[in-house]
Amino acid sequence: MRKISAAALALAFVLTSAGSALAATKMLETGSSLVYPLMNLWVATYQKKNPSVEITTQSTGSGTGIAQAVSGVAQIGASDAYMSNGQLAQGKMLNIPLAISAQQINYNIPGLNNAHLNLSGPVLAGIYSGKITMWDNAQIKALNRSIASKLPHQTIIPIHRTDGSGDTFIFSQYLSFSTPSWKNGPGYGTSISWPAVATAVGANGNPGMVQTCQNTRYSIAYIGVSFLNQTNKAGLGFAALKNRAGRFVLPTASTISSAAGTLVGKTPNDERISLIFAPGANSYPIINYEYAIVNPKQANGQVANELKKFLNWAVDRNGGNSAHFLNAVRFIPLPASIVEKSRKQIASIKG
Amino acid sequence: MDSNLGYAGGAPKARLPLLQRIGTQRVVRFLFGSAATISTLVIVLMLVFLGIYAFPAIRFNGLGILTQSVWNIGDQYGSGHVVRAGITAMQGAQFGGLVFVFGTVVTAFVAMLFAVPLSLLVAVALVYRVPPRLRPLVNAVVELMAGVPSVVYGLWGIVVLVPFIGQRLGPWTTEHLGFLPFLGGPAGSGNGLLASSVLLSLMAMPFMVATIRDVILAQEKSIFEASMALGSTSWQAVTKAVMPSVTNGIFAAVLVALGRALGETMAVLMVCGGAVGIFAQNIFQSVNTIAAVIVSQLESALTDPTGLAQKSLAELALMLFVITLFVNIVARLILHGADRSGEA
Repeated sequence: MRKISAAALALAFVLTSAGSALAATKMLETGSSLVYPLMNLWVATYQKKNPSVEITTQSTGSGTGIAQAVSGVAQIGASDAYMSNGQLAQGKMLNIPLAISAQQINYNIPGLNNAHLNLSGPVLAGIYSGKITMWDNAQIKALNRSIASKLPHQTIIPIHRTDGSGDTFIFSQYLSFSTPSWKNGPGYGTSISWPAVATAVGANGNPGMVQTCQNTRYSIAYIGVSFLNQTNKAGLGFAALKNRAGRFVLPTASTISSAAGTLVGKTPNDERISLIFAPGANSYPIINYEYAIVNPKQANGQVANELKKFLNWAVDRNGGNSAHFLNAVRFIPLPASIVEKSRKQIASIKG
Repeated sequence: MDSNLGYAGGAPKARLPLLQRIGTQRVVRFLFGSAATISTLVIVLMLVFLGIYAFPAIRFNGLGILTQSVWNIGDQYGSGHVVRAGITAMQGAQFGGLVFVFGTVVTAFVAMLFAVPLSLLVAVALVYRVPPRLRPLVNAVVELMAGVPSVVYGLWGIVVLVPFIGQRLGPWTTEHLGFLPFLGGPAGSGNGLLASSVLLSLMAMPFMVATIRDVILAQEKSIFEASMALGSTSWQAVTKAVMPSVTNGIFAAVLVALGRALGETMAVLMVCGGAVGIFAQNIFQSVNTIAAVIVSQLESALTDPTGLAQKSLAELALMLFVITLFVNIVARLILHGADRSGEA
């Protein structure tokens, strides 16, 4: 259905842009369900100021975002994951960071949802590969000495994404970078081969993760930080994660900024870089650039210009990157040096 | 009236002999014949297209798609490739579909376990027990159930059924009845085999009830009445006299419903729990069906630059197509046989 509606939109786009030059330029943004809440805020405000452009947003998952930006159905493919070398070998695409995001590990343990469990990459890898099956496992207790006696003797239900997902990408990267056995096993990607765990459950999109975690006692899930308000409302707990320095940190503006600060300097010109498991005592380990995947060659000059205008506004501190928008979804703004690099990439978009 | 008068005027009179010359029969035969040919042709073309598209996957996967249970599109961010039978895939790619074939067959089978006895009871009750003035109402309800889109069943499944199974039925059953086969072990989340099969049975029931009802009605009432006249109770009359005479029809109805359950996608996708690499050990665990996995894996497959993940999904689709086609053909043959024996 998504594909059909996307194709219909694309058709409508072709028809209208051919029909009259006076009509609003139509653009489709599709992809990451983590970016979707932000895009919704952005587009509503942007369109009020720029009636000449009409942007449709869709939450479909990063996999679809990348695929539809490549196929030309969407002008902007939103993705939490940068594209792989193999994908780029198929044709040049831009990976333009729009903001910095993070991911929290949510759990649903009645009585402990306000406690912020301490969890580490190796323990999460153990849970998701079926080696750690009970919440009162010795390894989990060892990380949570103060509440060790309260950990229930209940089977853990690990929830993972079934759709192609940037959240799967950054979560599996955290496991890969922190746990050698995971790196040599499932590895990382927007879609990985999950180890066979008897109690594992798949869910679709971040909203599906929130709902399944809420419905399922003793479950654990990885969910984008832009959904933290929803997971809090759903009464789910979220964990403090062990970072590279060995400290347990919660996802806050301060810990996300610290992590970003240690790695942004290494960002290459094509801006494809992982920000996972950053060094630094105060660094939150699962943060990432949210990317706009864009074809540098657009259908025509008019679309290219409107697209550049929108993207330049999106990365601007006084535009889309202002606290007004980003605080609402708990993202943090791009550092100035990254804005420069993003602007350079945006400038290369042609009609 | 005016238009009728006009119609009775000159022009149609001139046309009538022409139609007679060609022969109404021939025109009708041509129309129906071409419609039948086209629908057959569409099925054949779909099979051919799927076969051609999936051919590289068929060569790459070999029998593995039926014997292995790991579905891995490969290492997206690595640079390595694996080549087998001259076909390139991403490093580590392995397309084993056994879990999905298992889930497809088992969910449909368990659904039939629920739906067949219930449908039989409802159909028999409709024919013999429901007062004639209530019959239209009950029939309407049954037909309404058939018209509900599957996504609505799926939504009901997510909102009502899954939490009920996950929080009440599952934990209670595994604790108190866990010694029985397929009921012990982890109670899961509510998403899984039981939820999928319950939805499938609800969706299969209306069709089965309607078909079984019609099959029973098509048999002469005299069988029932003769049996009653010989002194049997109405239960005996139904089970001993009516049912044996309509077994073939019922069996065919079950097979057609089974064919639909095998391919049902949306509702199952919403409640199956998306199992990967694992076979459900009890009725509460996650499963995955061919139809559901095609939808949920398609966007991941689109990110495979070698394209083999997409083609492997097409191979799964081909398998599903063949399975349902086979079940439907068997059902038609049985129905056809039942008609014949009815005539004789």
